[in-house]
Amino acid sequence: MKNKNALKCFVGVNALDEIASKDARICVMNILGNESKKVTPVSHEFSGGNVVAGVQYGRAGKLETAIGDIPVYSRLADVMKNHAFDTGVIYLPPDAVYHAVGELCHYNKKLKKIVIITEKISVKDQRLIRTICQVNKVDVFGANCLGVADSWNRVRIGGALGGDRPDETLIKGSLAIHSNSGNFSTTIAEYLKTEGFGTTTIVSSGKDVIIQFAMTEFLYAVQNDPRTKAVVLYVEPGGYYEREALAMIESGNLVFKKPIIVCVTGRWKSNLTRSCGHAGALAGSGDDALAKEKWFDDYFGGKEFDPAKPGNISKKGVRVSSIQQIPLAAKALYKKLGWGADFEAKGSLGLKPWFGNDFGLNLPLELRLPTVEAIAPYNEEIASVNKQLGVTHLRQNMRNKSGASRINAATQVAELHNVPIVELISYPLESNILFTLIKSHPEKELLPLVNICLNYLAYIDEFESSVLSKAKENQATPNAAIASVIALQGNNKIFRKAQKYMGVLLSTFSTIGLRDINDSIDLEMANKVASNLILENGDNATGFTNYLNKKVDGLLRKSPVLQFGQNYLEKNGVEDANLFMIVTVLLHTSFQSLVYKKISRETVENLLSYLTIMAKAVMLTSINPDKNKLLKAIRMQEDFSVLETSFAETAYQAIFNERPQSTNLKEFSSLLALTLTNGPGTISAKGAKESVSARNNISAAFVGFLTNTGLSHGGNGYEAVKYLLNAFKDLNIDDPAKPFDADVLKELASKKAREFLDYKNQAKLKGVARYNRIPCINHPVFKGKRVNIDPREDFIRKRLKSENIENVCWDYYHYLVEALYAVGATSNIYCVNIDAVIAVISLKLMWPLYKNGTLKESSMQDIGFLIFLIGRTVGVSAEIADHRDRGQDMDCRTPIKETKYVV
Amino acid sequence: MQITGMKYGMPIIRLSEFPVPQILEENATMEELESLIAKRGKCVVKPVFYGGVGKKGKAGLVKIVSSAIEAIEAKKQLFFAKHFFQNQNIQANGVTYEEFIPSAYEVYFNLSVSTVSRKVNFTLTHNGGVDIEELTPDEIVESSFDGLTGLKAYHIIDALTEINAPREIISPLAQYLPRLWNLYNDYGFTTLEINPIRMENRKGRLVPIACDFKAQFDQDNVHWKRLKLPPEIFQTDISPFEAEINQLRTYQGQSDVVVINPQGTVTAFMFGGGANSAATEVLSEKATISSDFGGNPPYEKMYQIARITYKYWLEQSNVLLIIGGKANNTDIFITFKALSDALRDYTVQHGRPELYVVAGRGGPNLIKGMTYARDTLDSLNIPYKFFGYDTSMIDVVHYAVEIDNWFRKK
Repeated sequence: MKNKNALKCFVGVNALDEIASKDARICVMNILGNESKKVTPVSHEFSGGNVVAGVQYGRAGKLETAIGDIPVYSRLADVMKNHAFDTGVIYLPPDAVYHAVGELCHYNKKLKKIVIITEKISVKDQRLIRTICQVNKVDVFGANCLGVADSWNRVRIGGALGGDRPDETLIKGSLAIHSNSGNFSTTIAEYLKTEGFGTTTIVSSGKDVIIQFAMTEFLYAVQNDPRTKAVVLYVEPGGYYEREALAMIESGNLVFKKPIIVCVTGRWKSNLTRSCGHAGALAGSGDDALAKEKWFDDYFGGKEFDPAKPGNISKKGVRVSSIQQIPLAAKALYKKLGWGADFEAKGSLGLKPWFGNDFGLNLPLELRLPTVEAIAPYNEEIASVNKQLGVTHLRQNMRNKSGASRINAATQVAELHNVPIVELISYPLESNILFTLIKSHPEKELLPLVNICLNYLAYIDEFESSVLSKAKENQATPNAAIASVIALQGNNKIFRKAQKYMGVLLSTFSTIGLRDINDSIDLEMANKVASNLILENGDNATGFTNYLNKKVDGLLRKSPVLQFGQNYLEKNGVEDANLFMIVTVLLHTSFQSLVYKKISRETVENLLSYLTIMAKAVMLTSINPDKNKLLKAIRMQEDFSVLETSFAETAYQAIFNERPQSTNLKEFSSLLALTLTNGPGTISAKGAKESVSARNNISAAFVGFLTNTGLSHGGNGYEAVKYLLNAFKDLNIDDPAKPFDADVLKELASKKAREFLDYKNQAKLKGVARYNRIPCINHPVFKGKRVNIDPREDFIRKRLKSENIENVCWDYYHYLVEALYAVGATSNIYCVNIDAVIAVISLKLMWPLYKNGTLKESSMQDIGFLIFLIGRTVGVSAEIADHRDRGQDMDCRTPIKETKYVV
Repeated sequence: MQITGMKYGMPIIRLSEFPVPQILEENATMEELESLIAKRGKCVVKPVFYGGVGKKGKAGLVKIVSSAIEAIEAKKQLFFAKHFFQNQNIQANGVTYEEFIPSAYEVYFNLSVSTVSRKVNFTLTHNGGVDIEELTPDEIVESSFDGLTGLKAYHIIDALTEINAPREIISPLAQYLPRLWNLYNDYGFTTLEINPIRMENRKGRLVPIACDFKAQFDQDNVHWKRLKLPPEIFQTDISPFEAEINQLRTYQGQSDVVVINPQGTVTAFMFGGGANSAATEVLSEKATISSDFGGNPPYEKMYQIARITYKYWLEQSNVLLIIGGKANNTDIFITFKALSDALRDYTVQHGRPELYVVAGRGGPNLIKGMTYARDTLDSLNIPYKFFGYDTSMIDVVHYAVEIDNWFRKK
């Protein structure tokens, strides 16, 4: 049956099944754009290959799909030479859409339809598009829509109706959908399934000010489509499209005899004076949601659908208050008309949380919804994801970026994993080592185990020793000497074995579904899983293993990870029992971070590699390991108890070759914490990141860092050491930790301030602008007030003072800035900055060696540099892990346009 | 994006060379005022409102004065005048003194896009000075024309003849009104209204003078920017939050926001225009904002949107709602990851918010996205419920409302 209609405009499609027909052939404009390149292949494959070609201005090529490549041309004229098509799909940016419509109409006289996906096209372009398409007799769908689809024809044109799984949504049935919302086009189709209804054709109309294929055209095509029994309309405020269509039906100018289910939303939007969401969904006084509801109610001769009285509806159709009522309304309408559903109802729309956790909130019973298993196939996906441990980051260009460190713009304090480094001074080195990689500090109870592991891994063999010696003999700088040994590590067989062990443990726990370190597991089942995954038989007990196991047994509570490790080792044994138990301990420390998706599985699998390199680097800073009892004992590994030594002490002894006092150790750890990071822009971090970017392994990334550091590191701090030594040369300070006469220090500060003032004035008289300033005072961010304080310095000073840790050098610095102001050398009291902190702590630590003549002034710079190297080696491991997780190959390249040639 | 009044309207109308009266602003001197009034023996004093504000005359906010003293008195009354328009109380911020144009006719003229004709329509009557809605069809004409060729003199002549307009006004209006089409077409208007146009007798020939102005601009048409309007004109339209989010606006959308209630307790990330309409309606005054972040936003943009949204609204919110239907194209993993990461960073900076997270969503990478958000919230100890697309979206919003009610009662 054909309509004898009096449509006021051109409508090319006569019946609904022509909108997304099997024989439609399509050309996609901007086919390689971000959205199209994802959506077009799915549409093409679902529709059996209906896209004949695409256009990407200036860039010919192809778009790969599972059923063959789609050729891509750089202009439409070239498509016309090689292909025939009747439908254009436009994904271009808004300003280009009108031009593309003109191009399509100009070149293709057989064009029947254009589907415009783009949103935010100006109203002017929309009306011009309408004008030229009406003249050229072309139907337009959109803009700002998701295209059209036909469940009977299995064809989808344009946008992503049905998402990435169109088969799930586009189920054959008897209802046609016309929706102002692209998302609701799919969502309504999904909802309809719950009462056994499928669809014929779905039109996502878009909701711009001008709707090109509006309700009138749609109903006209529906009437001529025998497959469609009824229609579902989703309508938003703004525009008179619906009033026009209903008026045409009632006046007989449009023959339409099928029932309508309509959902009008947006009553509340009448309160808004600006559009949000759909550009055209802003109503005037006569076309708001209430007005639209009335148009339909008048047409139906009824009121809003009442689910409690489903029979109380008109045969012409019914209006529902929300889209969730559409399936029920369809059921009621079909029943009224004596029709059955299209198929068996599937599922329900009731509240079904797939995930939930109330964290003990005392919610009323009706809100305490238990989680339910998700519908297939999502339930299987959830089960599979639940087995995955660790985060997966989006890969991106990580040049000059970091997900590990930053300088907080407000405080100017460097942060590692969102923790200011000034807070990290409270933790010993061993704890911070773990923190850089697992993003949380291990519990105190675990630190002895961590120390055992680090000291064990710090082992330097004879060959490595000889490499280090040779490097030193050749006057390699300390960083280069250390790098030469680290470079040897590659991805050695111990690393590989550890990765394998860790991989097996992770797979075992993900398979058995361990989601919390405090849960319990079925050890037998875990054993079975692990046995299937490897593990070669071998040793189950060595001296070290037994020792480590005893320490593990001494823990207040053994986690399932530790229980399993011990149990597996005892029952099966492995080739390298020591390594296996260390890996087990490391997994125990990192498991919660893994579960909470703070860190990646890859980082955990490589945890032993990272720790080994860091531990070895510490040992390699040792100036004379053979003359240090502790280091020798660690190397010999005859008495395992020596491995319990705090790794901070190991590092201290490596540098200073003597046992630290407890206060010294605390300050030493603070110093290392302060040097952990200074953000991703430092050349040390960049060295590591660039190495990762070139796809090097972990040890080479550390080498990248090491070779990107040098004696200029800590330069200002070293200047401060020199300055202080010079200032103190006439004072007899035995120990900077002991109180010194404050008056003497103040007098000295005053003298030095006056000297500086004289020097400064002389320099100015001579016109010397770049005279030598006093190092480590003032900071561009923390100056300008009468009394300036660097909050980082202030925080650390107060923290150490509260623990009665004194430092004469530090006090002197404060007297000095006050004296400089008092004598008029500075306009306000400068702050003592963070570099000064590093200088005064390291000077204090070096003081005894300096006083007893062991350490010459010239060697002090080396020590300062070595301290920096240890701290930064630890910090940079976070950058390496982060860049490996997030970065892309070669992402640290500098674009050519940023490079310069100089003469 | 609307403006009304001659303060900003006059320079715009002048671009089309359509005649305008002399206009003085509130800082006019006594001499200038006296000179203006001396022209016609009186002048019109009107309050200046930002945004689109009508019905000023009906509200008694237009004063006709015949001396500079009276003009200053009128200024005092109108400078900060309050006006209730479209359910909002609006306050004036200044006045204009406008030349009085004696005229036997008041003409109404409007150009705007019609959703009936899907073209630009013009509406014209010489029976102005009343609500045009009150006119009978034979007193006013609304007609469309070809958008490619534009409004021509014959359209005006035909229209005025149809409603029996006096002959003496037909020719001058046919001469001048088409000029407004070029203005409309070239500068991104969606509505341009001159009401009234008064017909001044100049040496025996009537000349139309534009005596008031109303305009609405298309945000998606950059040509309105060529008018170089001062930004404060639209200040009533945009809150600081909206302004910050708008900096992220691109042609792909993904960042439409409107503040609903600055005291609201449910902050909703709505995905898609449909979800926006439906959720805004259910939440109404409970919502801090109405939003549409659909359109497959990239990670960095979604993260920034979330960061800004949390900064403004999280502290006061009981419920963070993430709502949308079954997404066609929007990557759920990317959006949920960005929302989760921003929440984690917010928590690091500000401490754990007392909040319940409710999400209802479907679409590509759904499980990957939901499990990421689940793990993040688990680690932050923030309670949550996530619903798949097999749960009614509206029911999910209602559930969020119930959770909010419970928090409010706590």
